[in-house]
Amino acid sequence: MDKKEEEFLNKLLSMFKTEAKEHLSAITEGLIELEKSPPEKQTGLIETIFREAHSLKGAARTVNLKDIESLCQSMENVFASLKRKEIAATPHLFDELHHAADYAGKLIFGEAEPDISENAKIKEIIQNLQSAVKGEAPQPQIVSSPPLTEEKPGTPPATPETNKVLKPQTSRTEDKPRSIETMQPSSSAETVRISTTKLDSLLFQAEEMLSVKLAAGQRTLELQEIEVSFAAWKKEWAKVQPEVRSLVRTEDAHTCVSSKLVDFLEMNEAFIKSLDNRLMALTKNAEYDNRQFGGMVDSLLDDMKKVLMLPFSSLSAIFPKLVRDLSHDQGKDVELVAEGEEIEIDRRILEEMKDPLIHLLRNCIDHGIEKPDERQQKHKPPRGTLKLAMSAKEGGKIEIIVSDDGAGIEASRIKSAAVKRGVISQEEAGKLGEQDALSLIFLSGVSTSPIITEVSGRGLGLAIVREKVEKLNGIVSFETQSDRGTTFRIVVPLTLATFRGLLVQTNGSLFVLPATNAERALRIRKEEIKTVENRQTISINGQIVSLVRLADVLELPEKTRSIPDENVQIVVIGFAEKRIAFMVDEVLHEQEVLVKSLGRQLLRVRNVSGATVLGSGRVAPILNVNDLIKSAVKVTATPVKAQSGIEAKAKRNSLLVVEDSITARTLLKNILETAGYNVITAIDGVDAFTALKTREFDLVVSDVDMPRMNGFDLTVKIRADKKLSRMPVVLVTALESRESKERGIEVGANAYIVKSSFDQSNLLEVIRRLI
Amino acid sequence: MNNFTKADADDKRKLLKARAIALAKKPEKKEADEYIEVVEFQLAHEKYAIQSNYIREVYPLKELTPVPCTPQFVAGIINVRGKILSVIDIKKFFELPGKGITDLNKVIIIHNGLMEFGILADAVLGAGQIPRDIQASLPTLSGIRAEYLKGVTKEGVVVLDAEKILSDKKIIVHEEV
Repeated sequence: MDKKEEEFLNKLLSMFKTEAKEHLSAITEGLIELEKSPPEKQTGLIETIFREAHSLKGAARTVNLKDIESLCQSMENVFASLKRKEIAATPHLFDELHHAADYAGKLIFGEAEPDISENAKIKEIIQNLQSAVKGEAPQPQIVSSPPLTEEKPGTPPATPETNKVLKPQTSRTEDKPRSIETMQPSSSAETVRISTTKLDSLLFQAEEMLSVKLAAGQRTLELQEIEVSFAAWKKEWAKVQPEVRSLVRTEDAHTCVSSKLVDFLEMNEAFIKSLDNRLMALTKNAEYDNRQFGGMVDSLLDDMKKVLMLPFSSLSAIFPKLVRDLSHDQGKDVELVAEGEEIEIDRRILEEMKDPLIHLLRNCIDHGIEKPDERQQKHKPPRGTLKLAMSAKEGGKIEIIVSDDGAGIEASRIKSAAVKRGVISQEEAGKLGEQDALSLIFLSGVSTSPIITEVSGRGLGLAIVREKVEKLNGIVSFETQSDRGTTFRIVVPLTLATFRGLLVQTNGSLFVLPATNAERALRIRKEEIKTVENRQTISINGQIVSLVRLADVLELPEKTRSIPDENVQIVVIGFAEKRIAFMVDEVLHEQEVLVKSLGRQLLRVRNVSGATVLGSGRVAPILNVNDLIKSAVKVTATPVKAQSGIEAKAKRNSLLVVEDSITARTLLKNILETAGYNVITAIDGVDAFTALKTREFDLVVSDVDMPRMNGFDLTVKIRADKKLSRMPVVLVTALESRESKERGIEVGANAYIVKSSFDQSNLLEVIRRLI
Repeated sequence: MNNFTKADADDKRKLLKARAIALAKKPEKKEADEYIEVVEFQLAHEKYAIQSNYIREVYPLKELTPVPCTPQFVAGIINVRGKILSVIDIKKFFELPGKGITDLNKVIIIHNGLMEFGILADAVLGAGQIPRDIQASLPTLSGIRAEYLKGVTKEGVVVLDAEKILSDKKIIVHEEV
């Protein structure tokens, strides 16, 4: 009995949470809207928020949450006074109301501090609200008895500490205030609340119908093929028919056996003809069914997707508050303008986009928009504008734009930040063009913020944005102009589950490439392939694109292919401004593809994002374009002729790479790994020596110039160590001087490679010789 | 001999009590699950068994699609009524040398609440019961590391520890480029 009751209470509480969330967000949205609206529209809004607070109070009472109840009561009192125009809506009042709503949320969702301070906090909030109702006089009274009778009409409005930054009363004509109806909870008579898990399973089943549709198509195709073979039979039959006829005529002259044979032949003809007729009818029916069925499945899927589509506003509703709070904290005045909120998107995409958009908005407020006085100096309006616009694009894509009219991003600052955080070296920074430098902001760890703050400065935000967007098969880019602002542009697909895929075959296996990334498929002649710096390239519309075999990138086992082909089939894949041509054996066709995960055991597979079931029932892996491009770069990093790399792989020698620049380190690691070595890295001599003590290595590749312990000292230390003294050491350096080379020999290095003459084959050859 | 301390006596009493409790419990437990239900299968001329409660179903192996860039032990993926499931070659996973020709025609789908995949089998021999207290693992006999084994029966059937295999971190593929 007790357990049942407890269960019921829990259920009730979770229902209350869902409801409370709606009420609270309606209150918050309403407050934001109210702050922006002209006085004549305020009455309706106040009424709405008032009702929301009242409903929340009622709901809180049913689950016995006294604190929420009294918070709501105080809020109600404020709205009641506002309604009667006894008090005016001041920014301070809004702050208090937001504060109260926020705190109620925290209490409900269990994020509040421990009990003692909690009580005090509630008392304080309630007191503040009460004093707001009464004017400014602080009230000792805490309990939320209805104070309506105590109110003095015509209390002077503003509180002394009015915030100068926010000006709520200014009417803004440029943004359309949301109508009152849209703010009301969507619990009208026509809607039903269904849990998302139920909907998801329904979508899964509906999507499954796609494979049934594809299979039906396949069956129809097979029937049509049989019909074609019947046509071939008819042709053959027509050839021998006269002879059979003549046999029939001369039947009497022959024996009984041949008469029987002729009978059988005639019967056969009639039988096959009737079969043919039946087949034709069957094919017709199958074609009809296929069309009918296809149409039904398509419309079912379409409707099902629509069920899971939510308007952009369901996500963007949280942003005005976020922007308000963030800009408030930083003493900035920012207005958020949202466009295209009515556009509907797949709920799963919307959920994935929440974090990236929050990061971008934070970024714009933190780095983009200046403080009001600074803006005035630049002859800009003191209030910054942050735009969040969503629009539908062709090809089932949507574009989200986040733009500010702030200071813009300076390439030089990005460069120095990247150098400071060790993402690139000073030398590399010098070589970078402006556009390349700007694209560094997407790298993890790059932040121009001088200090790490709660909001930003860790340099992770934009890296997360890019990761999330690319995971959705989308693209993020940005433009910036000094003192004019920055615009981030995100393009993501409208739905997730199905897309157009290009079916290709290589080394006997089928793969699916997303058609959106497959820019073109073409056949080229072998002579068109040029080898530049040991890498194969082709020219497409005058642009040099590197060419790799898909089989190599996917590490497929080498097949013995005997027929030398004059032509090569290639598919050009483009992803975020990178283009690479992949050689395949055959491009089959484009088709609709339903993405399925690879199961729980294959959480993430290199180069493969999922799988799909083809019409024939066969399963084909779907390739991950982002990974493919990364892998292709690795494959091309090894020169075509470096076949000996494969031999090295068999032994799997372990190398220690010591290099303080992260770029050089990564480069070396990549080169050596693709040549088949196990590579461990260290950041300087001290780090390296520790590694040597704890693990077994076959060879050390070290930079010379490093902090703490340089390459020479490291070599000396290795030679002095009893166990390590015979370890081969290759020094790789930028110092091309006779003295340093001699010094290298003196300390006992086995090789000394100067970076300027640093080509991979040289290094690989040296290493092979030493091990 | 005579200098027994009080502490020693306490320890002794505790030990005896623990023994008593253990003895008191054991018989009823043994009666309840003396045997475990298993499904026996053959793979490369060896007999293996897996506890039935970890087996979701036995599925005929019609078509196996290899997945590129996966470890050796991942044989491929199959389509089980619209759901994609990976199939594992446990011999490769245990790093056993492959010997003899096998005619893989069954997939045994095993699961616990968190993990699910198929394992390759040549043939399923049937369901049966084996005594719970089978001979503790003899790694030298089967070549499989003891951690994945429940033991070996008198008939030489290698009883795999499905829970260990399912919850082994090494079986999960999670690789970035």
